[in-house]
Amino acid sequence: MWVFYGKTPALRNISLRVRQGELLGLFGHNGAGKSTLIRAILGLVPVRQGQILVNGVPCTGSYLPQLRQQIGYVPQMLNIDPRTPVRAWDVVMMGQYARIGLLRFPSRTHHQAAADALQKMGVLHLAHKPFGHLSGGEQQRVLLARALASAPHLLLMDEPTSSVDWQFVRDLTSLIRQVHQASNLTTIVVSHDAPFLAQLCDRVVLMEGGSILGDLQARDLLTYIGRELT
Amino acid sequence: MTWVDIWKEEFMLRAMLATALSGVACSLVGVLVVTMRLSFIGVCISHAAFAGALVGLHFGISPLSSALVGSLLAVGVLGPLADRGNLSPDTAIGVVFSASIALAFLLLALLPGPKSEALSWLWGNVLTVTSDNLRVLGYVAGGIVMLTALFFKEIQAVIFHRELASASGLPATAIFYGVLVCSGAAITASLSAIGGLLVFSMVINPAATAYQLTYNLRNLFVLSAVFAVMAGWIGLALSVLFNLPSGAMIVLISTAGLLIAITLSPKRTGGKS
Repeated sequence: MWVFYGKTPALRNISLRVRQGELLGLFGHNGAGKSTLIRAILGLVPVRQGQILVNGVPCTGSYLPQLRQQIGYVPQMLNIDPRTPVRAWDVVMMGQYARIGLLRFPSRTHHQAAADALQKMGVLHLAHKPFGHLSGGEQQRVLLARALASAPHLLLMDEPTSSVDWQFVRDLTSLIRQVHQASNLTTIVVSHDAPFLAQLCDRVVLMEGGSILGDLQARDLLTYIGRELT
Repeated sequence: MTWVDIWKEEFMLRAMLATALSGVACSLVGVLVVTMRLSFIGVCISHAAFAGALVGLHFGISPLSSALVGSLLAVGVLGPLADRGNLSPDTAIGVVFSASIALAFLLLALLPGPKSEALSWLWGNVLTVTSDNLRVLGYVAGGIVMLTALFFKEIQAVIFHRELASASGLPATAIFYGVLVCSGAAITASLSAIGGLLVFSMVINPAATAYQLTYNLRNLFVLSAVFAVMAGWIGLALSVLFNLPSGAMIVLISTAGLLIAITLSPKRTGGKS
């Protein structure tokens, strides 16, 4: 599969299979193409050659809106204006809006799902705070709650540990593991934080220059990096 | 005729209704463009609508219809440019804005005879609105209220983050273009009452005022509409009382309201709202 930004290839000849229930890490330096791969799965960038299938359904055209509803996406740290009139609760509810459908209103079940997701992430007490007033770690928890509230089949996380402290990274690792184990949720986590991926994932795919270099067991990632550095 | 008697006249009742309808239509799209950081697209659309009205006058067709076509053309050009990032949105707006102004001035110069009708689309006059103007304003204001209520949740998601809304399966691009088209319709319908030069303040000022006071999007829409109608009626009353231009008074009152809101804003002082 290939993706181009203008005439420049951003992803080159990518071939990757993710197993149902797998917790996969995508590791590489900035510009390696990790986030572009996530965006391609979501159909946010067009695939020029080849195709991406989620549960056998192509991530293009008329399939896309339906498919996106089955994917929970936690983006890189959002730069939201603190004055934006949106509360943490609203953000979590938004994750379910596409499933609720046009011209329909959220039901009690949808509100309960949002409350449960916030509770699971330990941020229910922040529900009525403006999203832009939350710390980086709190925003990430709310965004994770947003992704989980829609009961996705696939969870995509893009650099969840950027701009957060080590304590949050430790908590996040345990949260993602809990979520993954509880529902056997297929999860792909993009990061350039090797210790985080090594501790969290089952398997890590190495990317560089828009290509996949190979994959390895997550526990071997730090050894691999150490070898590369020497 | 006393000052009190003036308010019983039909033209004043019509002016009050026009101010209220225009205020509601413009302030609701104002919330959308302010929260989506599209404020200057509104300026551009208002001038394109004015140029469109002049095209209508020049060729003997309804200026209101041609103003709508002008504003929709601006939307059709600006939307994709801002959307696809081929050109920076600021640059695209600058180009369309200056082209609209140039076209308007050219048509103004080429228009034979007195220019008063053409200039009335630039300055507007809420005291001379016709029943047809009112009907159009009513349809547009009603349509925008209905669309905002029906698509509130999708609008909220797009305001928060357009790409995230799209990634979750919402029709974010359709909502974005819908906002631009509604802006074009609200601005065009308000041209005859408020004028091409001042209508932009009716879009931005009430929304910016409400934006200072709440973090709740529902309240933001309601407050914005209330401020717009209040500024419209107070401005209208002062213009009648002191025999001043109504459009200018309405805009100055709404600007004063914005300054007061900025001063008292809980967002500025770190309080809750």
